Amino acid sequence: MASIIGKRIPKIDAKAKVTGRAVYAGDLKFPGMLYGKIVRCMEYAHARVLNLDTSEAQKFPGVVKVLSPEDVTQKKYSNWVIDLFYPKGFAELVGDVEDQSIFTKYVRHQGDAICGIIAKTEEIAEAAARLIKVEYEALPVYHTAAQARKEDAVQIDPGKPGNLAFQLPEQVFPGNTYGWGDAEALMKEADLVVEDTFYVPKVKQCQMENHTYISLYDDEGRMNCWTSTQMPKPVQTKISNLFEIPMSKVKINQTTIGGAFGVKLGMIMEPEACAMAMSVPGKHVMVSALREEDWVMSESRHPGEYSIKVGLKKDGTPVACTANFLTNGGGYYSHASGAPAVAGTWIIGMYKFQACNFKCQRYYTNQMNCGAYRGYGNPQSNFVLEQIIDRGLKKLDIDPVDWRKKWHKTTGDDGWMLGVPYSSCALDACLDQGAEAFGWVKKKEAYKTQTGTKRRGIGVAVMNHTSGAFPFLHEHSTCTVKLNEDASAEIITSASDLGTGAHTALQQIAAETLGFDMDKVHMKVGDSDAAGYDIGAHASRTIYVSGTAVLKACNDALDQILEKAAISLETDKEALEIIDLKVCVKTDPDTFISVEQICYEGVNAFIDGATGQRIGVPGQIQGYSSHYAEHNSPPFGACFVEVEVDTQTGEVKVIEVVSSHDIGKAIHPPSVEGQLEGGVQQGLGMALTEETYYNEQGLCVNGNFTDYQMFGPSDMPVCKSILVEEPDPIGPYGAKSCGESGLVAPTGAAGNAIYDAVGIQFTGAPITPEKILKAIKEFGLDSDAILPFGYGCKDGGIPNLK
Amino acid sequence: MKTCDITLFVNKENYSMTIPVNRTLLQVLRDDLGLMGTKYGCGTGECGSCTVLMDDKPILACLTLAALASREKIITIEGLEEDGILHPVQEAFIEKNAVQCGFCTPGMIMKSTALLAKNSTPTEAEIKGYLEGNICRCTGYVKIIDAVQYASKQMNR
Repeated sequence: MASIIGKRIPKIDAKAKVTGRAVYAGDLKFPGMLYGKIVRCMEYAHARVLNLDTSEAQKFPGVVKVLSPEDVTQKKYSNWVIDLFYPKGFAELVGDVEDQSIFTKYVRHQGDAICGIIAKTEEIAEAAARLIKVEYEALPVYHTAAQARKEDAVQIDPGKPGNLAFQLPEQVFPGNTYGWGDAEALMKEADLVVEDTFYVPKVKQCQMENHTYISLYDDEGRMNCWTSTQMPKPVQTKISNLFEIPMSKVKINQTTIGGAFGVKLGMIMEPEACAMAMSVPGKHVMVSALREEDWVMSESRHPGEYSIKVGLKKDGTPVACTANFLTNGGGYYSHASGAPAVAGTWIIGMYKFQACNFKCQRYYTNQMNCGAYRGYGNPQSNFVLEQIIDRGLKKLDIDPVDWRKKWHKTTGDDGWMLGVPYSSCALDACLDQGAEAFGWVKKKEAYKTQTGTKRRGIGVAVMNHTSGAFPFLHEHSTCTVKLNEDASAEIITSASDLGTGAHTALQQIAAETLGFDMDKVHMKVGDSDAAGYDIGAHASRTIYVSGTAVLKACNDALDQILEKAAISLETDKEALEIIDLKVCVKTDPDTFISVEQICYEGVNAFIDGATGQRIGVPGQIQGYSSHYAEHNSPPFGACFVEVEVDTQTGEVKVIEVVSSHDIGKAIHPPSVEGQLEGGVQQGLGMALTEETYYNEQGLCVNGNFTDYQMFGPSDMPVCKSILVEEPDPIGPYGAKSCGESGLVAPTGAAGNAIYDAVGIQFTGAPITPEKILKAIKEFGLDSDAILPFGYGCKDGGIPNLK
Repeated sequence: MKTCDITLFVNKENYSMTIPVNRTLLQVLRDDLGLMGTKYGCGTGECGSCTVLMDDKPILACLTLAALASREKIITIEGLEEDGILHPVQEAFIEKNAVQCGFCTPGMIMKSTALLAKNSTPTEAEIKGYLEGNICRCTGYVKIIDAVQYASKQMNR
């Protein structure tokens, strides 16, 4: 049978999506369903609620209930889920706190939930929400870590003095530092030291589906949730913990996910939806967020001051690197002990420095909370590391592609998680093939001397990422493969598909392993009652970890087929092999029993009345796997960007992007390309156009798709994706990850291309036309000017103030 | 709220109803007619997820009062398929893997259909220009543009 791995087949969910029949949470209707509206604080970023008057709303016709903070559980929670996977005692060690309330009397950032309304229609709920009267006492607003750590600042969380939410704990990381060697001491051995402080922006995931959640507290006392969460099983645990009900009484129905990119990595509005449902047992309650609410209440990428220092020898030999990420974390703890620290691992994992040290500090501030966004710290680090490297290489007159080929870490070297060596690395091939497709050498020559007002520039960046979060988190996935009596199969799993094509690829893995046709395999997903554990979609893990669970469960099913066949054929299992859905005796292929017969007789084995003998071997086959990954097979990638800068307007046109990716093996190539192409859109956006801006009061001023500037169709360059396939020894069929990677290197490569074009390095993202024009006017083209932190922003200390 | 009587002609069927005057076409399509393929992404006309055809022109259902759509010919994503045969643009989106999360897809397909109806051989720049206003956060538009070009070829065969 021809292999289905690597085939460009249509995705299994494509037809439902092109016909509009795919069901998202907001498309669900239940008889008698009620509508919840969360009343949010939209006018303050830091305030105490002095008085909440719900009386007028209570009286509004059609309102069923109004829930104040006192009417729901007083238990605090943290909306992220990663704390669930820490080893026992680790959460205490790193200082994790649960600091969120379902409805709050203390507003830590704009969009905090004050109370909830349950009504017969959405319109009534919204009208009643306008009748809620809240009296606030305004508190000082802290945009940045620098403001929040001042001595006289209001302490946002009682357990966190100085508003320092997290830094690497001294007990595990001496000197609060991750890495190896004493980089600062080694700097003196370098011939060249380059250093600067960059600003990385507060960018937003911008998933197209507005947040919608439905909950039902049913007659069995079970909490049923319809949610597009990326992490159904952990969310089940979180809801169980928050409402103090057993996990067996929480059911997660995962709906089609209308984009996530990390924003749905924990709970979003599940707590409010469940609290509302609990107050009206037997009734479904739907809670949605308007887009303007989404912008302030869900999480963003971590922004902040990213300092970096790199020492190189004259010949380019990397000596030492130190980096410090001081991040403005937002109002709550969520992801504090995750993203800022993980950011540094991507620097640790990239180059062969003799010493490399990373520190981070995350402070409570009053802008929207920070959480998971595709890349989890990697895009920030890439923007910083790859640009400072190019600044050094320019001084040493070394080619950026050659240097990266020579000095990147590779197979066997210590990985991003020190102690876990790289299992495979095809970055050389990525650089070679990428440079060839991009025309690096030719373009470099052609753009050496340019005249005129438009300047072309080229930039390259490389990245390493991960396939799952081993060993930082337990990477656990289960899978059950149920074989039906017609030799078709259900693949029962809680693995998520955010639209990436993951379920298609998992089905391919199952079909390939079982030797079944694709249409004989069905993905049974999104039902927490049916499937066993799966940590969910994070850290680009689904194909690598869930895919291995699928593969192992299918192999278990095959093993059971062989066992039954051995009984039927009166031989040993080892003497058999499966060829084209027939279990044959190896030495005598004409003696066989079909897989279908084994499956059929497993279900329908009966006693022959004449002989009294059982026909067939009874027992329906169900393969099972509970798979813990023991590696993270990091993928590498290279990105090449060409820009054209109009030196009279500062406008940047991105001409071409080549992304070459070390995929190991592409199970479903169009999906891998799709991840890279989508990553380019988001990565270029982060480097050049995207940022959430705030006014001095801490209110978001561009929370909409017009003022928040993403790359549109006409802004997109020519995109070429190169899939480099050098199979990884561990991943299923050799596959490594691609979910987050595509976004990472475009950030650094775009920065380097601008640097190449105008001869000034911009340390603050996004690199807007205003900043470029100002710098050209002030310092001149090719001046190699060093720009101060926050250059070109309204307030240099608060780069996202408008 | 004042009400008004309207007759909507959606996907070749007539629907007479009494609605509040401020009800949008998107609300009527989704909540009253159960046509859930048209999506609410922003409610402010910025994302294009709610694009439908009115009198063969793409409009934003979230910004269109249902009352103003009375008696106009409305086509939604559910109305593209004929006798179980998908529209070539739908086929192209499947064939070219132009679908990821799928939330922008119905609007994107309606917009592309409108483009190909008035310009059967658009250039890449024309496709990109026409799709401005329909936001996709998953694909970088690469395979969407591919799909529209492919649909154009298929439709001109």
